[in-house]
Amino acid sequence: MNLILFGMSHKTSPLEAREKLALRCGEAGESSTGILGIPGVKEAMCLFTCNRCEIIAVGDSPEAADGIRGFIAETGEFSAEDLDRFIYVHRGGDAVRHLFRVASSLDSMVPGEPQILGQVKEAYRQCVDRKSSGMLLNRLLHHAFRTAKRVRTETGIAENAVSVSFAAIELAKKIFGSLNGKTVLLVGAGEMAELAARHLAANGAGKIFIANRTYENAVRLSREFLGSPVEYGNIGEKLGEADIVISSTGASGYQITKDMAAAALRRRKNRLLFLIDIAVPRDVDPAAAQIDNVYLYNVDDLQGIVDENVKTRVAETGRAESIVAEEVSLFAQWYDSLEAVPTIVDLRRKLEEIADGEIGKSSWLRELGPEENEKIRQLVGSVLNKILHGPVTGLKEASRNSGALPYIEAVRKLFKLDDSSSEFRVSSSEFEENAEEVKGEPAGSAASGRSESREDN
Amino acid sequence: MDILFFKAALFGYLLSTCGYMASLILKRVSAARISAWVLLAAFVLHTVSLGLRAGGAGLTPAVNLHEALSFFSWAISGGYLAFQLKTRTRVLGAFVSPAALILMLAAASGLDVISIPESLEGGLVAAHVILSLTGEALLGLACLAGIAYLLQDRWLKNRRVTGYSRLLPPLGDLDRIGHICLLIGFPLLTFGIAAGSIWAGSVWGSHWSWDSKQILTSLAWLAYAVLLHQRLAIGWTGRKAAVLSIAAFLFVLFTLIGNAFFRSVHNFV
Repeated sequence: MNLILFGMSHKTSPLEAREKLALRCGEAGESSTGILGIPGVKEAMCLFTCNRCEIIAVGDSPEAADGIRGFIAETGEFSAEDLDRFIYVHRGGDAVRHLFRVASSLDSMVPGEPQILGQVKEAYRQCVDRKSSGMLLNRLLHHAFRTAKRVRTETGIAENAVSVSFAAIELAKKIFGSLNGKTVLLVGAGEMAELAARHLAANGAGKIFIANRTYENAVRLSREFLGSPVEYGNIGEKLGEADIVISSTGASGYQITKDMAAAALRRRKNRLLFLIDIAVPRDVDPAAAQIDNVYLYNVDDLQGIVDENVKTRVAETGRAESIVAEEVSLFAQWYDSLEAVPTIVDLRRKLEEIADGEIGKSSWLRELGPEENEKIRQLVGSVLNKILHGPVTGLKEASRNSGALPYIEAVRKLFKLDDSSSEFRVSSSEFEENAEEVKGEPAGSAASGRSESREDN
Repeated sequence: MDILFFKAALFGYLLSTCGYMASLILKRVSAARISAWVLLAAFVLHTVSLGLRAGGAGLTPAVNLHEALSFFSWAISGGYLAFQLKTRTRVLGAFVSPAALILMLAAASGLDVISIPESLEGGLVAAHVILSLTGEALLGLACLAGIAYLLQDRWLKNRRVTGYSRLLPPLGDLDRIGHICLLIGFPLLTFGIAAGSIWAGSVWGSHWSWDSKQILTSLAWLAYAVLLHQRLAIGWTGRKAAVLSIAAFLFVLFTLIGNAFFRSVHNFV
């Protein structure tokens, strides 16, 4: 397969190196046009995220490979030694497999994170805008999107939270069903508590109360969340209203005692109460968990859930890998069908069909004897052979030098050998659908992607 | 003909139960999603079967044990499917579908149409039977939701949330199902009992005869009345409500199968 892929990822290179390369390359579309200028490169696409830089190109001649390597060394100002250390090169089927794994988030820091597919789609869009992709890359990328979709829907790789704050949201949903209109109380503020509150608000939570020992801080935060500040002394009272409490003060000693929780439950007529204690030392008396309809989770509990979820995701990668392998072989099949022979056969058949059609239409032929008819057929046949001779030898030669693709493409197009040429076109509707897919990601999981990993931001 | 449909429905319930079990074993909701459709198909077949039996034989639909069990199974499946439309509680079917299947298997042992005493024909008996059984089926559904609630509650309390807890519906949804089933099922049961009592007054000469089935029924009715009061006035939700709704349904179960153990004037079903 006439494909080559150069890349450096979080597994092979330090962040600074990737940063440097990405920054100097500018936009992905821009650099792919640059790579297109390298002799021997026919199509190119670049993907830059903070966890990886990938350059995939059609054209696997030694000069193309050297050219791309040189381009990376030059733009990233890497020494030959660094270059060898950071860069991996995949060719042909391996390049396809690598791209499919990247798009399916199998090569990510946290497998199954949802961002990377959107990033690959964006990189491809830029590359289409700059017209640096052709038939092969178009087909390859669409196949990659399809693979990623299959992996997401057919395996559990993208299921379940892998960050503490998002695990808290999942639990809240498991307790209340819907978070719509649920009241949230933040006791104390910290990064994690704010993050969780943000997720809750994104999931439809209603009122947010904010209590802080420094009242001014509560006021400041409540402006940010459109919440209402609460005097620290009143948290016992507010417990009666809140459905979800996130406590993260730096105080020593329990801020929420069992008695406070029990009293709150009476006031709230036993409606379920979810206490999230992410403070160290703990804010909520563990004994509060003994009360009916109270669910208490501390930061270790949440971390335990996250660890378990990561394990499940990793366990799902096996099934995901076999989907990728399946899709790679499908792609290889399609690629093989592009070899010259089928096109030559199709071309000959097409011409013969035309000849037969014309002979069939000519009624005057029937007035002639069988001998004359035979002679006319032979004549037409040898004209066809003469016409075909040039293109056929040309295609065969080009395919020996593994450069048949543009010729095949041209011949199939000019002679209208298949009406499926539309499948190589990039339709704008596909982009819209893709864009929607990214937007339509469950708010939670998209948020989790942002928070739980720096993968591919 | 109705028996053919009955058997098809029975097979459907068997299939959907297998599907739900697979969903639990594989821990995949997708299997439950398919099973819900199978359950719906079984329910439709079952509806046809009941319709044919009632229409064709000119009988009130549920006067012998076979018919009562079959009708109960139909009502509980229908009730569940209705909830399924509103909430995403797919895996709750893993509780409902086996229950329906067991009822159907029990019902399958008495398929023959038997003639009923003349005294049992008429609108009041039909109303009594249909209202009581539908009410009891809904309360049965509340009981199943209660069992699921207690399991989910246990897992959430003990922080074991990465296993089966994921499959079962959220506590809030289960509680709501229990609540709604009670709100509809209890009045239906009440009207059903009232209809039976009026009929008994006109035929037997006494509205209430302190028969074993009637005593058990009144106990169940009382338990549900208490539960309803606690829920509406005191604001019981969650675990306590679930426990009481399971306990109350045990009385209902006794009233259904009690005839096997006690002599009763209510000796038809």
